[in-house]
Amino acid sequence: MTTTTAALPHNTTSRFAVSARALLFMLRARALLVLLALLVLFSILAPSFLTANNLSILAKHVAISAILAIGMTFVILTGGIDLSVGSVAGLAGMVIGYLLTEGVKIGETIHYPSVFIAIVITIIVCMLVGVLNGSLIAKAGVAPFIATLGTLYVARGTALLISGGKTFPNLAGMPSRGNTGFPAFGQSFLLGLPLPVWMMLVLFAIATLVAVRTPLGRQVYAIGGNQRAAVLLGIKVARVKIFTYIASAFCAALVGLVIASQLEAAHPATGESFELNAIAAVVLGGTSLMGGRGSIAGTLIGACVIGVLSDGLVMLGTSEFWQMVIKGTVIVLAVAIDQLQARVQARFLPILLQARTEAE
Amino acid sequence: MTHAADRIILEARNIVRRYPGTVALKGVTYRVHRNQVNVLIGENGAGKSTLMRILAGVETADEGQLLLDGVPIQLHSPRDAAQNGISIVHQELSILPNLHVAENIFAGREPVTAGIFVDRLTQDRHSAEALRRLQKPVNVRAEAGELSLGCRQIVDLARALDQGTQILILDEPTSALSNAEAESLFQVIQELRRSGVTIIYISHRLNEVLHLGDHFTVLRSGRLAGEAPRSDVSREWIVQHMSAREIVGSCKRVQSLPQPVLEADGLTLPSHFEGKTTQTPLCDITFRLNKGEILGIYGLLGAGRTELLECVVGKRSISSGEIRIDGMKVKLSSTVDAANYGIFLVPEDRQNDGLFPELSIRENITLGARKIIFLRRADEVRSARQLAKDLNLAATDLEIPVAALSGGNQQKVLIARCIARSPVVLLLDEPTRGVDVGAKAEIYAILRRLAQQGIGILFASSEIEETKILADRVLVLCQGRVAAELGISDLTDEALFSFASPLVSAANARSGVAPA
Repeated sequence: MTTTTAALPHNTTSRFAVSARALLFMLRARALLVLLALLVLFSILAPSFLTANNLSILAKHVAISAILAIGMTFVILTGGIDLSVGSVAGLAGMVIGYLLTEGVKIGETIHYPSVFIAIVITIIVCMLVGVLNGSLIAKAGVAPFIATLGTLYVARGTALLISGGKTFPNLAGMPSRGNTGFPAFGQSFLLGLPLPVWMMLVLFAIATLVAVRTPLGRQVYAIGGNQRAAVLLGIKVARVKIFTYIASAFCAALVGLVIASQLEAAHPATGESFELNAIAAVVLGGTSLMGGRGSIAGTLIGACVIGVLSDGLVMLGTSEFWQMVIKGTVIVLAVAIDQLQARVQARFLPILLQARTEAE
Repeated sequence: MTHAADRIILEARNIVRRYPGTVALKGVTYRVHRNQVNVLIGENGAGKSTLMRILAGVETADEGQLLLDGVPIQLHSPRDAAQNGISIVHQELSILPNLHVAENIFAGREPVTAGIFVDRLTQDRHSAEALRRLQKPVNVRAEAGELSLGCRQIVDLARALDQGTQILILDEPTSALSNAEAESLFQVIQELRRSGVTIIYISHRLNEVLHLGDHFTVLRSGRLAGEAPRSDVSREWIVQHMSAREIVGSCKRVQSLPQPVLEADGLTLPSHFEGKTTQTPLCDITFRLNKGEILGIYGLLGAGRTELLECVVGKRSISSGEIRIDGMKVKLSSTVDAANYGIFLVPEDRQNDGLFPELSIRENITLGARKIIFLRRADEVRSARQLAKDLNLAATDLEIPVAALSGGNQQKVLIARCIARSPVVLLLDEPTRGVDVGAKAEIYAILRRLAQQGIGILFASSEIEETKILADRVLVLCQGRVAAELGISDLTDEALFSFASPLVSAANARSGVAPA
């Protein structure tokens, strides 16, 4: 079946098209297939893997990388990258830690904002970093890699400055200050699921809706696919780009808050190298680093793959060093297969088209 | 070897080159005469560039063979071609602006001492020698980016010469040059010819080629349309062989309302743009586009056609002059502004400026259509289907990637996208570039229909035939200025050509090729 399709009899073409379509489907769904394979593998090798307790821990881990990765997906879809998310998560912890333990000094008196207000302030501060990232990139024309590398350092430095490098302990708050309840943010359960998992699911739903059903989402894809055409079309490219960096910073803020709440303490080094995990999840999920191609659902699956892989390897007692080697290998393989998919798709598309026209 | 064969240094025999969807060269036999200026002419899409890319080893032919001095040769890369003494100086100069002149001349083949270090002295000496041959004593240690366009071209030529080039291909070499620079280039070319180099010269400028050329070849739609020595060639001969008479009957024109929808008054665009000096400047362009009228902009390469359209769509900022829409003065500082006034551009370069290759046909059509919060798939499918049907788009499934379509259908997608946004003024840059003859006629009919609905249409074209078929009125541009405005009755090949060609200076006029 190596000759051109035009020469093939009708039924051969369609049979060929069926197998081509099957191959394409498997390539497209590869992240999901890998995830299923990993789940099966780990439940055989480690019998305690599928217990409710373990899955709940796993879900929490997945939630953290998934939330970051969902924000990152928008950025990468425009063809950008956000290296600052880990630092922003660290900054978020330090801001809320400061607000809950040190309070805000107005005049001579110290005011302690309520947990809700403190969370809102923290999120706003982090989103300002997103505005800065987006403006540097879309308005000042700084390359995304460099702009967010800069804010990576600035945010981390600011986090360290807030406490002088120390940890804010005991974020549970005091009834006398009226700021108790923060631990519930990352630790409580709703309908049997940890709250961070709910956050992940809600974010996933909103992000999917934005990406698939709104003009904004469509424009994100358009900019990543062909920025020059997007400009000519009258799309507000700068505004859309700034939005993606704000979304990414918002997600990073949530992650920082969740971690601080789970630990009931804020450490300035929280979130180091998280950005790499998030990028890995996005790429594993099939989003192209060149922009324009990918999906939020893919990212969620990618985050699951990374979470399952690291937790499963820990349960098997694999050394930390080997874990890194395996993780790296999986990421590189994922991108290599991504290239393969693009090539297979380009090759088979005319055949699929022909088969479809013949079927009609 | 016969006497005739001796005169032919290079022959491309029965060359066929296919691209997805089109055949660029349909069995062309092209002969290059030794030690002469071989002029190659043809409209855009005639296959000139493809043929030259094959001669220069950038592309390989699907069929046919190349004979150098009667011996078959195989060219798989520009390096192969250079080894056979063939070099090309491209329309877009391949100068590395961050390097010195000498470094540019030797880029990719740096001479070395001790096997590792660049031998700067040799490099400088050879460069200076090559430049002396071109009678341009440019400082070899000057940074190439600081040179004028003319000098950069000389550097490109010097690179070719230093490689021992016997056959030099010049692709529209004067399109970016000022008159004086062009003048000195002509001298250089004569000088080179005297020193034994064979020149292949591609240009649209009739005055220029008549002045320079020894032997003329015309391509049309991928075939050889004519071949003759200078003594047998006249302007009429060229025009007659160039224009394709095969296409498309003229569309019925209707009287447009004398109600201006777009007016431009004294548009001026400086040649400096974002620190670069690459754009063609526009000078004092004034025109009026009526409701339901199709106004053509005709001009040669570098006349400022694209720049003018990009000013109107807000992509470039004019330095003076004003634009009025429906009689109201507007400021178009971005494409977003233009879109708000209902001005949309179908760009010349579909792949780079128009299409979103990752998105489906439906998404490409409906992108940016309306200001709504949620996209409704059903609505999108309906409007995309309707537009696809109106424009006779040859695709049953609108969910396939737009990249799978042929050039003509991709162009229809871009037009559909503009229609979906209810345009007031529709701009098209080379509306049928890379489109086959059948789809051309359809696109002309579509544009005529849109005009009848009251949309003002402004298109830029470098094809005479297209301009004559489509336009109600034509603005001829020449070097960034309006050279003439022609009504339908004045629209002749000769008029378009002569107004579009820059005047060759008095010295040339004396030598007997005065412009009409």
